[in-house]
Amino acid sequence: MTIAATMPAVRASELTLRYGRTLALDGVAFTLRDGVTGLLGPNGAGKTTLLRIVATALAPDSGQLTVLGADPRTGSGRLAVRRRLGYLPQDPGFHPGFTAFEFVDYVAILKELTDRRARHQEVRRVLASVGLERQAGKRIRALSGGMKQRVALAAALVGDPDLLVLDEPTVGLDPEQRMRFREVIAELGERRTVLLSTHQTEEVMALCQRVIVLDRGTVRFEGQPGELADLAAGRVWTSGAREPRALASWRTGSGLYRHVGDPPPGADLVTPTVEDGYLLFVDPSATHGGEDA
Amino acid sequence: MTGEEETPMGGLGWHVPDGELRRYADRALAPPLLWSTEAHLSACASCRGRLTGAAGPALADDGWELLAAELDAPVPGPIERLLTRVGVPEHTARLLAATPVLRLSWLAAVAITLTLTALMAHLAHPAVFLAAAPLLPLAGVALSFGPRVDPTYEISVVAPMHTFRLLLLRCAAVLSTTTGLSLAASLALPELGLAAVGWFLPALVLTTLSLALTPRFGPVLAAVAVGAGWVALVASTWSAGDAGPVVFVPAGQLALALTGGLAALMVVRLRRTFETPRRIR
Repeated sequence: MTIAATMPAVRASELTLRYGRTLALDGVAFTLRDGVTGLLGPNGAGKTTLLRIVATALAPDSGQLTVLGADPRTGSGRLAVRRRLGYLPQDPGFHPGFTAFEFVDYVAILKELTDRRARHQEVRRVLASVGLERQAGKRIRALSGGMKQRVALAAALVGDPDLLVLDEPTVGLDPEQRMRFREVIAELGERRTVLLSTHQTEEVMALCQRVIVLDRGTVRFEGQPGELADLAAGRVWTSGAREPRALASWRTGSGLYRHVGDPPPGADLVTPTVEDGYLLFVDPSATHGGEDA
Repeated sequence: MTGEEETPMGGLGWHVPDGELRRYADRALAPPLLWSTEAHLSACASCRGRLTGAAGPALADDGWELLAAELDAPVPGPIERLLTRVGVPEHTARLLAATPVLRLSWLAAVAITLTLTALMAHLAHPAVFLAAAPLLPLAGVALSFGPRVDPTYEISVVAPMHTFRLLLLRCAAVLSTTTGLSLAASLALPELGLAAVGWFLPALVLTTLSLALTPRFGPVLAAVAVGAGWVALVASTWSAGDAGPVVFVPAGQLALALTGGLAALMVVRLRRTFETPRRIR
């Protein structure tokens, strides 16, 4: 069965949420299917708010939301979602003094695994799936940042959830840890729906089958990463000097300047990347025409 | 193979019957037969050999898994061991042991505070103790739930286990421990007789009231507001009678009980707001 043929794991329309006078989400609509979907956007775009709503940690002020076929507005719907959900918050906290095993064991109890033996088997399984079987007995405070993230991911994997919501799972990790994390997430995305937020366009390119660009509480793009890159076709060029009229202009490793925006006549156009397409959306002056909201 | 037979040592001995050996291999044997079978197996090579034949390699794999599980398994701390000893299920004890204020440091702080308050009650007025003791469970409950004090709060909220149930479990644990310590401290005021436990009802009421206000103001602000209100109430009614504040006389206690009942109704009514909180900070 192809990804496109499967039933949507999440369907959202007109989601709106305010924090006081701040409109955090403004009529957000999107669909999630099997595979990894990246939620891309600048700081303050509403990514964490949206992930928390999908994870049932927060209720929207208005709008429709269906998660794994259930309605999270009702008590039974919320419970049905939570039983099939794995959530990695942006800043996962740990009880001081817990070992990796103890923390995941604690989360497993919260996930209704009460039988001690079955629960411990599950804890060992998820710790092994993120490569932490040898660190199971270590205090979390003694683990590196990458390992702590893996412990939190292991906790999210308890119960083999159908939907994984990961809020910036690779932030603060070094390249090697990031690569290891990508491998794990890519593997997880083969059998379930994964929604992850990130600032990094290369992560979207490396991992995601689909991408949603969120900016100031609004979905600016939803589609495949390649389609996002294609939107910048004809609007990316290189030259030997900075271009002040471009939306973005920077010196690359080759010594040439790369520009995104409206090219001058005869410009040396180059193949756009996902980042180029993304820049068109997050820059306020670049959002005229061509958006797939 | 049953009954008495010659043992490898040359004497007569009992061997585990085949049926029981199979049930042991299937882990279906219950105590006390399980214990006697295990004791025999540890001493009888012949029966161990028969067990190997009856069970096959799967049992050995299971055994290694069990051993690994036991080695990895968390070692319960003193509070967790105490809870399981008094009949709390193992998984619930595990959850309670992670309650931020159920640590020995908190309990020690409560004990010291109660001791000092009891001393002050001797020096000043017994009502000092009755007024101060209810503030301890109030503080304990405020510090056992919410994103500011519980590092796993966000994960707890989206877990299938009801957040409200977890909150009540923690409240019950905090109330039980502080009540125990306060009862012990009450023994230092024998001259008050039964009136020495006059703090109990206010403790329940203040805690319930702060829970009712938590969805609106968050656990810390709710507890601070309720605590401040309590102190103001005690201070403002202090001169109303020789026995101290009127809240500790029967009429005052009745009014408190009614307030607590209303607060409990509010908590029940608001229980769903704990599951997708907007204002709990």
